[in-house]
Amino acid sequence: MPKEPQAAGDDSGAGTSTEATCVLVVDDEHSIRLLCRVNLGASGIDVLEADDGETALELARREQPDLILLDVMMPGLDGWGVARELAHDERTRDIPVVFLTARAEASDRRRGAQLGGVGYLLKPFDPVGIGELVEDVLARIGRGEREQLQRGIAAEHER
Amino acid sequence: MSVHEREDRALRLQRVAELLAEAVTPQEVLDAILTEGVRAAEARAGAIGVLSPDRESIELLAQQGYPGPIMEDWGRFPISGGLPMSHVVRTGEPLFVSTRQERDELFPGLAGQGQGGGAMVVLPLAVEGRVFGAMALSFEEGVEFGRERREMKIALARLASQNLARSQLYEQEQALRERMTFLAEASEILSSSLDYHHTLGELARLAVPRLADWCTIDMADENGEIERLAVAHEDPEKVRWANELQVRYPPNPDDPHGVPQVLRSGEPEFFPSIPARLLDEAIGDDPELRRIIDELGLRSSICVPLRARGRTFGALTLIAAETHPPFTEADFALATELARRAAVAVDNARLYGEAENGANAAQALAHVADGVVLLDPDGVVRHWNPAAAAITGVDEKHAVGKPVGGVVPAWATLTSHVPLSAPGERGTGPVTVPLVREGHERWLAISGVDFGEGTVYALQDVTDEHALEKTRSDFVATASHELRTPLAAVYGAVRTLRREDVELSEEHRAAFLDMIESESLRLSKIVGQILLAGQLDADAVELSLSACDPAAVAADVIESASVELPDGISLGLSADGTRSIECDEAKLKQVLVNLVDNAIKYSPDGGRVTIRLDQNGSGCLIEVADHGLGIPASEQERIFEKFYRLDPQQTKGVGGSGLGLYICRELVERMEGRLWVESEPGVGSRFSVELPVSA
Repeated sequence: MPKEPQAAGDDSGAGTSTEATCVLVVDDEHSIRLLCRVNLGASGIDVLEADDGETALELARREQPDLILLDVMMPGLDGWGVARELAHDERTRDIPVVFLTARAEASDRRRGAQLGGVGYLLKPFDPVGIGELVEDVLARIGRGEREQLQRGIAAEHER
Repeated sequence: MSVHEREDRALRLQRVAELLAEAVTPQEVLDAILTEGVRAAEARAGAIGVLSPDRESIELLAQQGYPGPIMEDWGRFPISGGLPMSHVVRTGEPLFVSTRQERDELFPGLAGQGQGGGAMVVLPLAVEGRVFGAMALSFEEGVEFGRERREMKIALARLASQNLARSQLYEQEQALRERMTFLAEASEILSSSLDYHHTLGELARLAVPRLADWCTIDMADENGEIERLAVAHEDPEKVRWANELQVRYPPNPDDPHGVPQVLRSGEPEFFPSIPARLLDEAIGDDPELRRIIDELGLRSSICVPLRARGRTFGALTLIAAETHPPFTEADFALATELARRAAVAVDNARLYGEAENGANAAQALAHVADGVVLLDPDGVVRHWNPAAAAITGVDEKHAVGKPVGGVVPAWATLTSHVPLSAPGERGTGPVTVPLVREGHERWLAISGVDFGEGTVYALQDVTDEHALEKTRSDFVATASHELRTPLAAVYGAVRTLRREDVELSEEHRAAFLDMIESESLRLSKIVGQILLAGQLDADAVELSLSACDPAAVAADVIESASVELPDGISLGLSADGTRSIECDEAKLKQVLVNLVDNAIKYSPDGGRVTIRLDQNGSGCLIEVADHGLGIPASEQERIFEKFYRLDPQQTKGVGGSGLGLYICRELVERMEGRLWVESEPGVGSRFSVELPVSA
């Protein structure tokens, strides 16, 4: 049984790894960030964390993560706003966004797809599978299936 | 002829002249000529005939001394015929016939007619050299007409001519005066009221029997249906009968004559004498209708259009039947003038009605809550009701007559997504768009109708509805978030703890266990609030009232709160001389816990949170005060609404169900108390609970 990587998410550790996938987790809830950090770390994924929208944009531009797990309902700039800003910025527009949200309405899914999301993870979610999910999304994008992923968001049923 | 005789004739002529001078009407003139004139001429009998207006026949006006029904037999005869009067009117020359034999030779058609073998004189009646009739004198015996006798007769004819013409002129003038009087009365009626249904009825009644035996007024409605507006006859019984007739034989709009024809063509129809052919055509094979038409005895008719501004909308019909003489050109002219005046009056009344409707509509629009904006095809504002002024903040006087883009700069943006429907068409419904005015966002539901000559927009201020709708959908999102987030934490923590492929650090194991505990509590609290709100809605919350010491409850709340107090927050309690009140202690505690939780939650930068208790006239006052974010004045009442939450933009890091304060106020009010807030953004808030001594 492998031990979880202790320093995952720390800037010092993540920044130096050249091979590891890096995911930016954006959520104002500490619990959710912790769950993501531990479980992604168990899959060998480096994790960056932001607890609000502005910090998320700043980190995304600077650190160029491979993927962003984005909460929607946050004080200040919410997830929709973050996604919009990411899409408008050349430096971040290609970073895949997977929404991680408690918003269960179909209209929210459509909105997520419109904003360029490639995944829509509804809370509560199983954090154990999240590393696998991230790798899968990145692999499919690598195969040029980004648009299928976007279309899939709106079509997906509530779990 | 002796001087005496000559003087005698002169005297007799003088006498006739005197009498004629006193005669005013044509009838009086005729009477004077035929009595004194005939006597002066020493004739046995006399008759006067005049040319008809068409100068085709001679009509016998009066006679004196002829036996038998000559007025009936010879009442009217053609000018071309072989009678002495015809001859004289044609030639304009006097005719002196001394014997009967001579007469019969000249006029073979008269052979065997008349009595006695006397002489006959027929004299032309003329004025200004124009023959207009003839006077016949018949004598008992043969008469030799010498120069003086002839001159005397010619002088008599001249007297008769002048006086007859004069009296006819007088009569015409009288008739004209009567017509003028009639028209004046008609105009008076027409201008008496704007209810033209009423005035036209009065007008028809005025026309009978002076102008005609019957007068009807018909109008065409928008569908071309003919509606009888008025029917008048001197006899009300006949009016009733005519109305029944109208029902039984409704007019066919395609009829080739009469009202339908006039309505269609806009041209008048005048029959001085109604041709039998027309009646036959109209009657067809209907024996009942034949009986009715015969009974009516229609003789002459005038039907003139009611026209205004190039449009024929009605017809006025005059009928001469049982009593009225056939209509003349003068009658036709009068009817035309009457119709003209009636049409103008009706048109005015209609225009006024439309204007009044317009005014009523404007008046109604002034009271409707929806903004109504009328734009002409160039986008210039033509109507701007008070609601539109209130919604847009632009007065009517600053809007009407100006391009709408200059009145409301955002107009094009506002209406760009508003589909325009055609009048009467079922539109797609209003489009809700935001209008920012003086820094405030108003939500407007806008719908538009394009009626060709412009566009009408209805603006409804749905800011409140929109806010409510947004609140509701926000609640769904909020409740979802508030339930799903702790659930995600608990579920995620459990799933992670049970992961067998990864060995968690002790630190993380502890964090996940804490997470399960705290997020379960949070979940339980939010579920409890949602359930309680549901119970309050259903009025299913039971209070258990008992004597309770509010100071003790407050101390309890402070103590609980102090257990996990965020950094920078301090708590305080002041309770001087409070007394026991009757209330539900658990509910009071719930209220205070909530208020203190809020006070701490909304003091992200720390500060002192205090509960202060005070004696209040009739009960107890409990204040929970903080030095936190404060609440904008516009939100201070709304925070007590169900599901309402302060704008998350202003309350960074603060979550909640939007139910806490709603529940607090509901609970306090159920205990006969009051809950209110005083607050200033950036300074802090003070929530006050006032409870009576006994609920």
